[in-house]
Amino acid sequence: MNQPSNSALSRLLAGIVRGVGRRTDLIAEHAGQLGLLVWSVVVAIVRLRVSRRDVLRQIYVVGVQSIPIVLVTAGLAGIVTSQQGGYQFTGSIPLYVMGSVVTESVVLEMGPVLTAIILVGRVGARITAELGTMKVSEQIDALYSVGRDPIEVLAAPRIIALFISMPILVALANLFAILMGMVSAQYTMGLGMETFRYGAQLFWHSWDMFYSLLKATVFGLTIPVIAVHMGLRTGGGAAGVGKQTTQAVMFMTLTILILDALFPPLFLQ
Amino acid sequence: MRANTTEGPVIEFRGVTKAFDQPVLTGVDLTVNSGEMLALFGPSGTGKSVLLKTTLALIMPDSGDVIVDGESVFYDGAMALERIRCKVGYVFQYAALFDSLTVLENIEMGIPEVELKGLSHREVYDRAWESLEHVNLDPEVVLTKMPDELSGGMKKRVGIARAIVGGPEILLWDEPTTGLDPVNTATIERLITKLSDELQVTSLLVTHDIEGGLEMCDRVAMLEGGSLRFVGTPDEFRASDDAVVRAFSDRSAAFAALDTIDVR
Repeated sequence: MNQPSNSALSRLLAGIVRGVGRRTDLIAEHAGQLGLLVWSVVVAIVRLRVSRRDVLRQIYVVGVQSIPIVLVTAGLAGIVTSQQGGYQFTGSIPLYVMGSVVTESVVLEMGPVLTAIILVGRVGARITAELGTMKVSEQIDALYSVGRDPIEVLAAPRIIALFISMPILVALANLFAILMGMVSAQYTMGLGMETFRYGAQLFWHSWDMFYSLLKATVFGLTIPVIAVHMGLRTGGGAAGVGKQTTQAVMFMTLTILILDALFPPLFLQ
Repeated sequence: MRANTTEGPVIEFRGVTKAFDQPVLTGVDLTVNSGEMLALFGPSGTGKSVLLKTTLALIMPDSGDVIVDGESVFYDGAMALERIRCKVGYVFQYAALFDSLTVLENIEMGIPEVELKGLSHREVYDRAWESLEHVNLDPEVVLTKMPDELSGGMKKRVGIARAIVGGPEILLWDEPTTGLDPVNTATIERLITKLSDELQVTSLLVTHDIEGGLEMCDRVAMLEGGSLRFVGTPDEFRASDDAVVRAFSDRSAAFAALDTIDVR
């Protein structure tokens, strides 16, 4: 009686161990390749192998063209925070605290995270799909065949562009969200701009803006590195591009949220 | 058939072995001599394109080596590989033009970077113009177009123009007539012969078009089951009494015949 159940149990355990082993192996492979990618980009920059024209073109595509959607998202986030805060505070907490609530939640959390999530969809998915299509249509091989390194020609300009653009986009998002939150507080609760500003300044630390931009910089590196890595690993034709892009979006979003959770214990103690 | 101009090996595949999920190439030894055109035949999935791609390290073999002009593709370092890539023009099966670049920019990419730095815009333009004329395309019409504005046959010819613009010593052709109608197939085949003669290059041609390959090439080789089944002249191929070679060439001849009739 015991023998079959023992063997079933050992099969189950072996299956679990195999599964964990495979996952660990895959994670180690991804981590190693991501590290190599970052190192290759650094080497390309140091050796001045990255075209300035390509970087500027990418800044336009990933940065300038993202401004409208980033501002719309940030503006709405500012309005919603202001309105929901007003609803909760009425009659219990002085309304000037609203200035601090909106400013701090935007600068510390919503500005960088919402902008990052928007850019995962707008820029990260685009990079993975673009490079993935180039991989399956042999354009990456064609680059190698003409003596060009895809890391220098394709990866580095995209990574540098988002690394530079992201803090600027987050700074714009923060300013616009606070402005919209202030306008919303005035119209919905009659909170004057001066009072809002008083509240905002009361609990403001200059470190907060640095913290926000540090997050933006880290996210600005994370998104394109994962997107490029996943794009260059694509195989399996059009279906492969779709599958890889979906996985890339999932990895980027998850990584952003995990990094976001690590920031407070590391930098706000 | 072209004049045989053997002056020693330019490309040497030495025991090239590669497996993906299952073995694709098992210890392939093959030599392509200077100035000759060698056709590589074989059923689909036998590793013809894989073997071709090892020449530029686009695929790494599990074991073995490829020697191009006396230098190892895999063991002589990055500089040697760069030198090899400058000497070789590669024509991809579906052209592999860069979607986001114009025809002019695509062809410009074919000029080795070291050489490109010393050229003015005008000189680059002239080189692109000349290479398009080589492949019988009107430069005035196509130079500013994007790849998706071109037909399949035109894309292939732009791909060839990109491969020859750097003045290669070796041309690698990966099924250049796949997916083309008989007229375009004949055009590309004529172009392959013309370019190989005019540019005095060594060519390795992977193709399913047996008759075209036998007509154009000095020697032919056939891969089957991951290893070489036949190496010899076109006449020897035609006269071969190897059952596999005969079955393959006859079946291909049958399909080639189907291409010339309207089966709708």
